[in-house]
Amino acid sequence: MENRAIASDAAASVQDEAAVAEQTPKKRKVNRAVLMENLWGWFFVCFILIGTTVFVYLALVLSVWMSFTNYSNLSGGTLWEALGKLHPEGWSHWYEYMFAPMYGADGNPTYTGASDDFWTTLLNSVIYMIGIPIGMILSLFFAVLISRDIKGSGVFRLIYYIPTVSSTVSIAVMWSNLFGATGVMTEFFDTRFMNGTPWMQKMTVVIMTTWKGLGGTILLLCAGLNGVNASYNEAAEIDGANAWTIFFRIKLPQLYPTIFYVLVTSVIGGMQIFAEPQLLFGYYPGTGAVSASVDVTPFVGYIYGQYYSNGNYAFCSALGVILMIIIFFLTLIQFALDSRRDK
Amino acid sequence: MTEVLNQAPAAETKQLNKFQTILAQFCAFFGFGIFGYRSSKKRKKVFFDVITYTILVLVALVMIYPLWWMFIVSFAYNQLAMLQTSFFPASWASSYDDGLFHHYTNIINLMELSNMNYWKTVLNTILYSIVPVAVGVVTSTMAAFAFAKLNFKGKNIAFFYCLAAIMVPGPSIMIAQFCIYSELQWTGNGLAMIIPGCFGAILTAFFVRQYLYGLPTSIIEAAKIDGAGYWRIFWAFIMPLALPAIMAQAILSFIGCWNNYLGPLLFVTDPDWYPLALAVAVLDTQQGTNVDNAPSVLAAAVLALLPVLVIFAVFQKMIIGSIMLTGSKE
Repeated sequence: MENRAIASDAAASVQDEAAVAEQTPKKRKVNRAVLMENLWGWFFVCFILIGTTVFVYLALVLSVWMSFTNYSNLSGGTLWEALGKLHPEGWSHWYEYMFAPMYGADGNPTYTGASDDFWTTLLNSVIYMIGIPIGMILSLFFAVLISRDIKGSGVFRLIYYIPTVSSTVSIAVMWSNLFGATGVMTEFFDTRFMNGTPWMQKMTVVIMTTWKGLGGTILLLCAGLNGVNASYNEAAEIDGANAWTIFFRIKLPQLYPTIFYVLVTSVIGGMQIFAEPQLLFGYYPGTGAVSASVDVTPFVGYIYGQYYSNGNYAFCSALGVILMIIIFFLTLIQFALDSRRDK
Repeated sequence: MTEVLNQAPAAETKQLNKFQTILAQFCAFFGFGIFGYRSSKKRKKVFFDVITYTILVLVALVMIYPLWWMFIVSFAYNQLAMLQTSFFPASWASSYDDGLFHHYTNIINLMELSNMNYWKTVLNTILYSIVPVAVGVVTSTMAAFAFAKLNFKGKNIAFFYCLAAIMVPGPSIMIAQFCIYSELQWTGNGLAMIIPGCFGAILTAFFVRQYLYGLPTSIIEAAKIDGAGYWRIFWAFIMPLALPAIMAQAILSFIGCWNNYLGPLLFVTDPDWYPLALAVAVLDTQQGTNVDNAPSVLAAAVLALLPVLVIFAVFQKMIIGSIMLTGSKE
């Protein structure tokens, strides 16, 4: 006790001395020190600020601006000339274009926009997201198994994470052979995957994304499970709770923030799915052997198709703006549901 | 041991019929007590451990098998042998003149058919993944240092300015980015894949900032009193101290850059400047249907995958630890 008091006294006196030592020169050039800190602070952040400004915000502004114009490969002139004037048919032309209903031969509206396939591809992107709940439940199950008191859990975590770090292109090339017309998996399950109905084709992609994404989610959930307070577990065990009750009443509620984080990020990522269907089925609309049916093209594939086949930058940008709004609202809905749960 | 476990129930419980007795004894063997038989925690744990291991090993096989398949069929004779392979190909590539690695040497020819040069492609990939990551990590750490340890006017505004940029989805602005890069003439020479990354990644900056919060500020104060400038503090103290976090982020970004597909697909218009991932995709569409060349495409896919797997194997502790940290933070 005495020692500690002496030690703290000594520490205090040292601090005092330091404070005195610091204050005396500071009084003379306090402004200069603050100025230096400000200058250096801005210097240190300037690179990331420039990068963010030019490659994100400028691109964002340009994207919104371009969506009001008629800039495309065919419009002629440079980007700057095209930005100078709005679309001849009104600034909202592309937005009306993508939402306008088209009337079938019988005069009834068919629910495809005047830009064909807008709704189909949007729906496809949503369908591709059914891998998220499936992957969530699977990885929760495996994470619980891994975090049991067993030897070698690290090895399993490692193995499960390998597909996640693997190159999407390599995986897709392999997948199209495994699940192709005469592939091993096609014969093993005796089901037509890649050459089956559009639904089965989509399922091929869902299987692939789930398989590839499982490891990352398992890792996050393992970390979450490790963070669960062990004393609650013990208390519940002493009170006679069985394993189910402990899991659903104690572990799951504490794991909820991790699950919410994974869900939000995977919905944001899920709406942006592009590479997997494109690598398995080819470009949309494309030509010849590399063309993909609209039934399997995700929304970003549609945007890319408009760029790739028509070079219609303005329409691409308008679609991009819509995608951004959709993702924003999906995230907003999730946060709203989350806040309602807290009450 | 079994006798002790399967002790008959106490007298007051009701008489069991034969089937119930056998069932109860069976369950008691695995540690479950039913019909009044005694349960054993130890046996129960062994029972569930066996189930756990069985499931985990099966899942591990599911995770590994496609990769194994991809690896082994790159040694198959041709597409027919490849597609019939379940664990080992029926006929091997060793019947070619240039031996078992025929399909790996064949990649070079195939790439030439598609107007690409294999070695140039590999160089491009290394260029696109090393330069932006090496420079970007320094600029990100600079921002992280300023956000975590310096007090300057408008720090919070700058921070939220960066934070908000994460919410902009990449595909929404990719066409506008393409327009910017083509105006700057970066699309024909791979600069579009290098320069934007050099300005640092926001997520890396946040992760390092979080790490720097854990470091005592007194180090910086002491260095300041000793007359070190801010750059010296950053370079000689912050960089080495934050190295674990920086390395983890650098490796993750490196893997991300190496596997990047949508970026080069849009921003690299000249086949001379294609990275490996894009080259494999091009090979797949142009040569993958050829009976003799199909395993070569798989071989190219293996080559695109291998460096990442090696890096993952070497730095697995760091990578897993960094991901787990993200999970426990939330």
